[in-house]
Amino acid sequence: MISAIGNNVQEAYVNLSNAKSGIGKVNYLTTRYKDEYVLGEVKLSNEQLMDLIGDHSPALNRTSLLGIAAAKEALKHSGIDLKDGMRTGLISSTTVAGMCKTELFYGEMVSDGKHLEVLDAHDCGESTEEIADHLGVKDFVTTISTACSSAANAVMLGCRMIKHGMLDRAIVGGVDSLSKFTFNGFNTLMILDKEWCKPFDENRKGLNLGEAGAFIVIESEAALKKRKGKALAKVIGYANSNDAYHQTASSPDGIGATTAIKQALEMSGLSPAQIDYINMHGTGTPNNDQSESKATVNVFGNAIPKFSSTKAYTGHTLAAAAGVEAVISVLSLQNNKIFPNLNFTTPISEFGLVPVTKVTDATINNVLSNSFGFGGNCSSLVLSKV
Amino acid sequence: MGKKAYIIGSGCISPQNSTDPNYFFETVNGPDTDHFNAVEPSYKEHINPNMLRRMGRAIKMGASAARMAVTEAGVENVDAIISGTGLGCFEDSEKFLLAIINNDEQFLTPTSFIQSTHNTVGSQVALIMQCKQYNYTYVHRGFSFDSCVMDALMSIEEGKKNILIGGIEEHTPIYIELYRKAKKLNADNSHKYYEGKTKGMQMGEGSAFFVVSDEKKNAVSAIEGIGVAYKPESTEEFTEKLNSFLKSKNTDLGKTDLVLFGISGDKDHDKYLLETLPLASKNSATGYFKHLCGDHHTAGSFAMWLANKIIEKQRIPDAVKINAVPKEKINSVLIINGYIGINYSFTLLTKC
Amino acid sequence: MDALIEKLKGQIIEQLNLAEVKPADINPDAPLFGDGLGLDSIDALELIVLLEKHYGIKIQNPADGKKIFESVRTMAQFIKDQGKS
Repeated sequence: MISAIGNNVQEAYVNLSNAKSGIGKVNYLTTRYKDEYVLGEVKLSNEQLMDLIGDHSPALNRTSLLGIAAAKEALKHSGIDLKDGMRTGLISSTTVAGMCKTELFYGEMVSDGKHLEVLDAHDCGESTEEIADHLGVKDFVTTISTACSSAANAVMLGCRMIKHGMLDRAIVGGVDSLSKFTFNGFNTLMILDKEWCKPFDENRKGLNLGEAGAFIVIESEAALKKRKGKALAKVIGYANSNDAYHQTASSPDGIGATTAIKQALEMSGLSPAQIDYINMHGTGTPNNDQSESKATVNVFGNAIPKFSSTKAYTGHTLAAAAGVEAVISVLSLQNNKIFPNLNFTTPISEFGLVPVTKVTDATINNVLSNSFGFGGNCSSLVLSKV
Repeated sequence: MGKKAYIIGSGCISPQNSTDPNYFFETVNGPDTDHFNAVEPSYKEHINPNMLRRMGRAIKMGASAARMAVTEAGVENVDAIISGTGLGCFEDSEKFLLAIINNDEQFLTPTSFIQSTHNTVGSQVALIMQCKQYNYTYVHRGFSFDSCVMDALMSIEEGKKNILIGGIEEHTPIYIELYRKAKKLNADNSHKYYEGKTKGMQMGEGSAFFVVSDEKKNAVSAIEGIGVAYKPESTEEFTEKLNSFLKSKNTDLGKTDLVLFGISGDKDHDKYLLETLPLASKNSATGYFKHLCGDHHTAGSFAMWLANKIIEKQRIPDAVKINAVPKEKINSVLIINGYIGINYSFTLLTKC
Repeated sequence: MDALIEKLKGQIIEQLNLAEVKPADINPDAPLFGDGLGLDSIDALELIVLLEKHYGIKIQNPADGKKIFESVRTMAQFIKDQGKS
């Protein structure tokens, strides 16, 4: 994983444990608003990212660079040898894809016919193929784009393909770099906070955008045994549903989110009381946090598990968000630690829910991770200790 | 995976008159020199005008094709909506992008940004149908629609009943001009694609949606399975992937009645398909389709619509035919598709 | 005021791409949202940009739109009050 809180999982773990946010003033994104807003940027230039992955090909855009860096780390950490005859797939997700570069050159492409090679790397699939080719994945590749729930859906697809015997293992997650396009897009929706976001706070004003690449490697039990590997966690439940309420907003009743959480729990075979921690979607927008709080109350009633949103660490990394949060959830399981919901002071009056606000030691056996996106797309994952 | 996905409804918007239910290639629209434009229906018949006012063409095409498929299937609702698009809602993306560039990030409005999101078609269809179920959008180049088919087959195996799947692609005048400047388009219309004489693609657009079901109902054909090959490095590797797919479906190239090739007219990109064509032509009828829908990421959805029609009519239109090995019956159609020489897929349909 | 209302009607139709609607169809006192023209929260954001683009008025908090965009008349009144008509 590479994000605003570090260039790898270890760095992220240190920052998470020290309640140190990666959101700050804008250093890399070109925008006329750079002095007005804060962003969760990865703290490396494109050149430095190229050094990190050891490839200076000019065809690589920031999205691909972040994806390659993260996926390489995940695969290395898994100890898997891709040449061992098992079938491995790469399921990535993105919303920005090559737009981070297209937006810099489109004007000149149109007026002067220059930089036309940028076109080849504009689409979402291209970044996935760059990652696959850098890793050497050949058996299966695909890309999902369902806005901010994308990476959760990638995890879910990977699990299903393994269950159906189509793959032995899959590298799943997502990647999005910051772009003028998405930044201005969210700005027109008037849901950006100019200061640090305050998820689940009564006075929350909006989200901070971030960028990240985040992948996990999932493997069938048989394949894991065969290579005598050791798992970090298990995915025991997942679900996707749709709010069908509004093009961008979530329903005030949290219908889609409630369904996703309930179905994921049902599949996991756990009762709500067995969830030790919820990593919320918690973007910090008035709408999301209201809807998600409602869904949480719908499912858990008065017995709300400990919860936090980690968006105030990383910013909202869109398609990568659920990948980032899957990694953070695994860190919670491994270390029996809850990473806090930063910047929180006042509960939302309608619900009175109070997140975990300090780094907290607790026995964590099962984690629920939520991710919701534009178009009413709602996904939940249940991860548990091995 | 053993279960089939029965096609119980379809809708197709393409450069041909495919929205006319009686149309079967009696007339054929050729390219506009180096690209194809979709023949768009009157959208008001399919979409509420208050929703229509915000929609770009990709969304209109997708939502209408989806509506046609659902109407033909005669189902109230579906258990999943799975869409595929390589470029997404490009018209809106371009509009928002040019507004950013031309107004220096000022006076921007949210509508084109919202519509530019890749999963807009799937979520608009969900909104229109009030479908609160599983909703995925695949955005992987030539695999965008193939991933939908694969997901639908898995979903049926998992117990879902009716699933809406579809592919959507649109181009814009600027995008075509950029492709032209980059010398990626083919304006030479003096050869058939399968002659392997030309370079470049003839870009197309359109949308085809299907309701697939776990039950036969009134279906004329069923999807038996799909296989993919990612960047095969040699003909041997390509052939090995194709054969292992066919073997998994207990068939082989010689046993399929019709093989439809996604030949694009770019002789380099078409290499593996052109090499497979004579092998297929030995015992099977062969045909092609990208000269009808144009080349785009989800041209495979048009091919599926075509294959289903051919099975229904039990006749191969002359416009499609390459080699007409006479077949009494068309019980099986294999679609061998390719996208710019990197993404290949094999889809097998059989008559019910 | 009436001239401003008529001008606004045209600008609203253009900004929101209300192809089916003519200025005469819009009652200046009818609600823009809900029952009236059937606009929604995305349209509200579009109207905020309309005010900025044509009248130089910046609205920082989208929640303020609720009162301003009640009807074409309240919109016109708001513009007048801002001294921007």
